[in-house]
Amino acid sequence: MELKKRILDFLDLRLGVRDLLARNLTEYLLPRNINVWYTLGAVLLTLFAIQFITGILLLVYYDPNTEHAFASVQRIVNEVPFGWLVRNLHAVGANFIVLALLLHMLSVLFMNSYKSPRELTWVAGFLILLLSLGMCLTGYLLPWSQLSFWATTVATKSPDEIPLIGDAVVRFLRGGAQVGQPTLGRFFALHVMGFPFVFGLLVAFHLFCVRRTGISRPPFGPGYEPPEPPRTFHHEEHPGGIPFFPHYVAKDIAVIFLFLALLASVIFFVPGLFFPPAAFEPADPFVTPQRIKPEWYFLWAYQTLRIFPNEFLGLAVQGAAVTFLLLLPFIDRSRERRPSRRPVFVTCFFLGLMAFIGLSIWGHFS
Amino acid sequence: MKPATATITLLLLVLLVPSAALPSGTVCLQCHGAQTGSLGEPVTLWKGSVHEANSVSCHGCHGGDPTDVAMAMSPERGFIGVPKESDIPDFCGRCHVGVREDYLESAHGRALGSGGPTCVTCHGSHRVVTATIELINRRDCTRCHEYGRAEEIKSALAATDGSIATLERTLADLRRIGVTTKETDGELFDLRNRFHRLFHSVDVDKVRAGTAAFRQELDRIKGRVDAIQLELNHRKLWGGAVVVLLLLGAVLALLIYRSYRRER
Repeated sequence: MELKKRILDFLDLRLGVRDLLARNLTEYLLPRNINVWYTLGAVLLTLFAIQFITGILLLVYYDPNTEHAFASVQRIVNEVPFGWLVRNLHAVGANFIVLALLLHMLSVLFMNSYKSPRELTWVAGFLILLLSLGMCLTGYLLPWSQLSFWATTVATKSPDEIPLIGDAVVRFLRGGAQVGQPTLGRFFALHVMGFPFVFGLLVAFHLFCVRRTGISRPPFGPGYEPPEPPRTFHHEEHPGGIPFFPHYVAKDIAVIFLFLALLASVIFFVPGLFFPPAAFEPADPFVTPQRIKPEWYFLWAYQTLRIFPNEFLGLAVQGAAVTFLLLLPFIDRSRERRPSRRPVFVTCFFLGLMAFIGLSIWGHFS
Repeated sequence: MKPATATITLLLLVLLVPSAALPSGTVCLQCHGAQTGSLGEPVTLWKGSVHEANSVSCHGCHGGDPTDVAMAMSPERGFIGVPKESDIPDFCGRCHVGVREDYLESAHGRALGSGGPTCVTCHGSHRVVTATIELINRRDCTRCHEYGRAEEIKSALAATDGSIATLERTLADLRRIGVTTKETDGELFDLRNRFHRLFHSVDVDKVRAGTAAFRQELDRIKGRVDAIQLELNHRKLWGGAVVVLLLLGAVLALLIYRSYRRER
């Protein structure tokens, strides 16, 4: 204890850490009616950390070369001590991240927490979601399996439908006419360096926005009234609320452990859940697998493209939907946040959710 | 490019996903697949065959140029067309070399040209089925002769063939979770093919003598597969412990949170 006190004294004298910790932990008060959905941010930070660490470990043995990539992943999974665990944590963990991101976004959407003054928090969060999907797409190619090769071939071919610039975009993405070493090289660079760098900045900005503006109060309960739109900067305080530490952190830990238990269950008991058979065959440009389907989180978009007679029209609709969601805080300017007072919004919310799930199921079985 | 256009383009790119784009197939499949009756029937039969499953298409057996409509059926490009009945063993034997040898030495092969069966009599043409022990059955064998001898051969082969099939399924399950089984797959495939050559000898004594040697080889392969499965079972045991600990941790953290809330 003496050593701990001495270290704290040393740091406090130079950095004022006691004050910093108090203001950001024990004296940082959260709304009394805060609910379990608010823990998803902490869950995501934990999953991001796991991706970061396992990603670095995979880099030790992974070889980003079309001749050796598949064999290097096979070696990691079958020969490197605990390589199977590291690889599965990384690959299965990515699916859990998308799941947690979607849940986080949906909860923020339903509670209308994106409204002023939190527009920038929403935009940063939404860009994090898009960037995560980009990392999933680039990471998909790296094992250089049949699944990797053909999924990337089809995914990078879609921009071909964009008028005027389509062909140039396809060549830019692939680094040539076909998916090959240049594609693997640029996807690898993006996956391990480019995207994580931007991703880190976005996460930092998102957290800064959350802390700077203050946690939004859930729009439920008899005492809730939507606040007036701020005219000047104002940090939302919650007097008489729950301390972030140790109170809410305990709840964060409970949900984090629950997510990790689910992740471990998949890794240890159904490790093939997210891997179709083509994921374990080396890429062969001359043999097209029978059924190429994207990952579950892209199925809605896959099915959308199949519904429209023209692929460009499908892409345009997807782009419009994504842009609408990104800019939603600037479009939906009403002050009201209570779902019970917003029947049209709630109806649209559930219809949108059902469309997402319905299209995904349709895409899976089509 | 304006920032807004660039953003929308980026969003579009991020969400670009597959839209089924399988190649439309060889010119043989395109042309015959669009026809009805006897000209289209081979394509219908071929779909679902073991040849289709292994990407052996029309030109693999019949020759010709599968990329050029005009030359698809040209003898200049090696087109063979439909073989005569007596040529069928040589037709199939271009790939199935060992089986052809065993067949020609067997009672079946010796009766070639005088009413004896050819490859397609048992395996079918176009809808070529995987060679399994189920091909030896009363309905098919009694088309030509009594079933008794065939039944004896089938019972002598059954246990070993069943073990091979079980091992194949186990290896497929292992592959599905990323375990490298390439070497063992190759050994089992080789053993299976050599074992299936015995089928074609239609000689009960030869089958019984050969089966014992195959069982020994099979036991060695099974020993290796069992070791992998044991390792996987250990992982599940540890995994179960990890999951239980995490769930206990979650419950404990939740109880701590509740006690804090009660305090306030």
